[in-house]
Amino acid sequence: MRRRDFLRFVAGATAWPAVARAQEARKVYHIHWLSTGSEPDPFLDGFREGLSALGYVEGKNVALEKHYGNPAALRSVISELRRGDVDLAVSSGPATRAMKTVKDIPVLFALSGDPVALGVVKSLAQPGTNFTGSTFLSLELAGKRVELLKDIYPGLRKLAVLSNTDHPGEPSEWRATLQTCTGLGIKPTYIPFAGAGELDNALEEASGEDADAMLVFPDVVTMVDRAKLAEFALAHQLPLMFGWSEYCEAGGLLSYGANQRATYRWLASYADRILRGEDPAVLPVMRPEKFELVINLKTARLLGIELDTSAILFRANKVIA
Amino acid sequence: MSKGSAQKSWPGYRGRTNPRRSLFYKYFVTLFVAAVVPLILGAAIEASFGYRDQRRHISEVLQAEARGAAGRIEAFTDEIRDQLGWVVQFPWVQGDDDLHRVDALRLLQQVPAIVSVSLLDETGTERVFVSRLRLNRTGRGVDMSADPAVIGARANKVWYGPVQYQHESEPYMRIAVAGNLPSAGVAVAEVNLKLIWDVIAAIRIGNTGHAIVVDDYGRLIAHPDISLVLRGRSGSEDFGRIKHLLGTTSGRAVLTGDRGSPVVALSVHVADVGWTVIAMQPVLEAFASIRAALWRSAFLIALGVLTALALAYWRANRMSGPIKQLEEGVERIGTGHFDHRIKISSRDELEQLAVRFNEMASELAISHQKTVRIDRLKQFLAPQVAELVEHSDELLEGQRREVVAVFGDLRGFTAFSARAEPDAIMAVLREYYAAVGAVTTRYEATLIRFAGDGVMLLVNAPVACDDPANHAVRLAIDLQVAVQSVAGKWCAAGHAIGFGVGIAMGMATVGTVGYEGRLDYTALGNVVNLASRLCGLAKDGQILTDPVVAEGVRDTIPLASVGKQIIKGYDQPLEIFAVAQTDTPPRRPDSGPRPMVFEAL
Repeated sequence: MRRRDFLRFVAGATAWPAVARAQEARKVYHIHWLSTGSEPDPFLDGFREGLSALGYVEGKNVALEKHYGNPAALRSVISELRRGDVDLAVSSGPATRAMKTVKDIPVLFALSGDPVALGVVKSLAQPGTNFTGSTFLSLELAGKRVELLKDIYPGLRKLAVLSNTDHPGEPSEWRATLQTCTGLGIKPTYIPFAGAGELDNALEEASGEDADAMLVFPDVVTMVDRAKLAEFALAHQLPLMFGWSEYCEAGGLLSYGANQRATYRWLASYADRILRGEDPAVLPVMRPEKFELVINLKTARLLGIELDTSAILFRANKVIA
Repeated sequence: MSKGSAQKSWPGYRGRTNPRRSLFYKYFVTLFVAAVVPLILGAAIEASFGYRDQRRHISEVLQAEARGAAGRIEAFTDEIRDQLGWVVQFPWVQGDDDLHRVDALRLLQQVPAIVSVSLLDETGTERVFVSRLRLNRTGRGVDMSADPAVIGARANKVWYGPVQYQHESEPYMRIAVAGNLPSAGVAVAEVNLKLIWDVIAAIRIGNTGHAIVVDDYGRLIAHPDISLVLRGRSGSEDFGRIKHLLGTTSGRAVLTGDRGSPVVALSVHVADVGWTVIAMQPVLEAFASIRAALWRSAFLIALGVLTALALAYWRANRMSGPIKQLEEGVERIGTGHFDHRIKISSRDELEQLAVRFNEMASELAISHQKTVRIDRLKQFLAPQVAELVEHSDELLEGQRREVVAVFGDLRGFTAFSARAEPDAIMAVLREYYAAVGAVTTRYEATLIRFAGDGVMLLVNAPVACDDPANHAVRLAIDLQVAVQSVAGKWCAAGHAIGFGVGIAMGMATVGTVGYEGRLDYTALGNVVNLASRLCGLAKDGQILTDPVVAEGVRDTIPLASVGKQIIKGYDQPLEIFAVAQTDTPPRRPDSGPRPMVFEAL
């Protein structure tokens, strides 16, 4: 009996590398994409772009399973996730908060807020957990956005702030905004809403505020409905500040922040490293180093804003004419 | 000669080692030394020279890459320095803060790596601050005159700060530039060093070689894998060690380890900022060409070994085939097959050897035939004659030696032959010769000749015998007995014939004389004459001896002196002895039987 065991062990040990290689070749990685947004998802597109640039082909060596829904719905999906079925989970925005309970699956995130404050990593340099990814520094940029709005529209006195409370780090973002507004002599009006369902109500509320301009916190929900927001801003003659360039492309006036698509593209390289067996605990959380100011001149004209070309436009990284 | 005895004559033949194997071994060793040793030497020399060349080549490549990287990093910092120089061109004038602010904003637009910039007036007070992340400030702000950046910039125009890790992760540094006019103040920029990554990531040395940048403390500033940089201090330990190691060698590539895997590395100092660019390439790749050369050499050596083996096998076979034939041939010849011939046509010394063996075999055959003939002949000869035949050369040579001459002749034969019929005479002689011959043979004496009724025998020549005197006397006694017994028969037939014997001993010249086709063995000397005289003196039935013989047999055979006699050829009378007669055969039909007994008187 013992001898047989030994033989089996030897046979197994010699056969293993070959088996492992064969599995490596045939292995299809299962990546679960969790988002509170909905399709079409520009973030997912960025991530896919990154994966294919690294040689992954969907359906051949990688399978992307998409889960969209509100945090509660995502939680139930997350509770079903088991190691073995899932090689990697990728979450964006509010979905990351729902993922906090996941301990045995590597999770990649792209957060506006501070992942340390959210409690998913121990430090940016050394996450030390099964989480890693990218943070957009929205907290720091929140004040910068108000400042830029003021630079473009010096007569700004009353600012409507539209915020999705589902978003992780949202309270601190609001606090930073409030602080800046106070410093710049602006009176902010906080218009919170919880999830896509409440957006229309929030807009209705904003329309009644008689604000000079509006600031929308970048978030999956507002991202998905960016065209609706742009239309709303135009209809109410509100200069509107957003976080990401996609918004301006949809007709928004201003955006300041990191390039989302680039960030998600980059996230794919971490996905690749984790799938190859690297430990997310030692992969530092990335922070974007490039921020782009995008101005839509068409919208500016429609809003009747005379942009001081010398003072503002030269600062723009991208101008949509 | 039987087969068995032939095999015995080749002792240990079967026990010899297989010659093919040892030949093979010798050839292999020779060819190995001839072919493989030069190959190995060549490979070793090539490898050592190749290694040196490759090492020099790698040094050059790494040096070039590191210098290139250092140059680009300098360009990066120079660009920042120059751009900062632009914003400190003009002196601070009351109320123009906004113009300076625009300059600062333009600077941010121009240089993506600058995260923020502070413009200070001549007093070191901050007048404008613009940032990509934090809120901009304009107007009199904090007094930064004690800031090392300001002090450094004022002293050297340009100041490069130490590398710091924001959030313990992202590498930053401050660069300060003072204007040419003191009133233009100082610009202090915060630079995100992550942007040098582009410079470093673009460097590829070979397929997997790369460059990294570390600061004076060995902390990692740039690495193609940005995540290592972002790990902050904790990710930098290994690189500090490499930097330290390289710091001691000036511009020479050294072997070291980058997290376990050995690399060839070389460092170049970036002057202004005090950083070090380390270009490295994994040893495995750097020396791939050497390895390939070594593999080629190994292949050639293996080929050489195989060739040596094959040639050795072939040569050994070429050699061992004829040798085996020779060996078998010699064995066959040895076992008596003298007609066997070894057939080798290798057109070399071995063929010559085979020819010689064949010649030897035919010689052997002839010699063997002779031996066989002699053996056959020996069956017909007396043993001493056989010996004589075998050793004739030395025995039959003329020599002087002590012999015993025995003469005998019949008494009354002349009278008998005068009146008897020839048939009767011949019959008597036949019987007489037969009797003498039988005794001669029995005593292994040499019959020199029959002469009518006389006979001459020789003892102790040419074949030696022990105690020749005694032997000769006993022979004579037996001769008397034998002849007397046939003489008795003749007497019965009416012929009165007797027999007398004379014996003498002494030195004589013996040897063969004669001519081709006819050789006689004979003895010459006084002793022969004496024996003949004694024979003449002897009466029927009597055996007379000289004193020498008598002296020789004194203790064994009784002799009686018959007195001194004058012998022809001798000056003094010689004492003659007679063998005592104890019996005599019947002489005549009328006288009755006479016992012929010799004994002491």
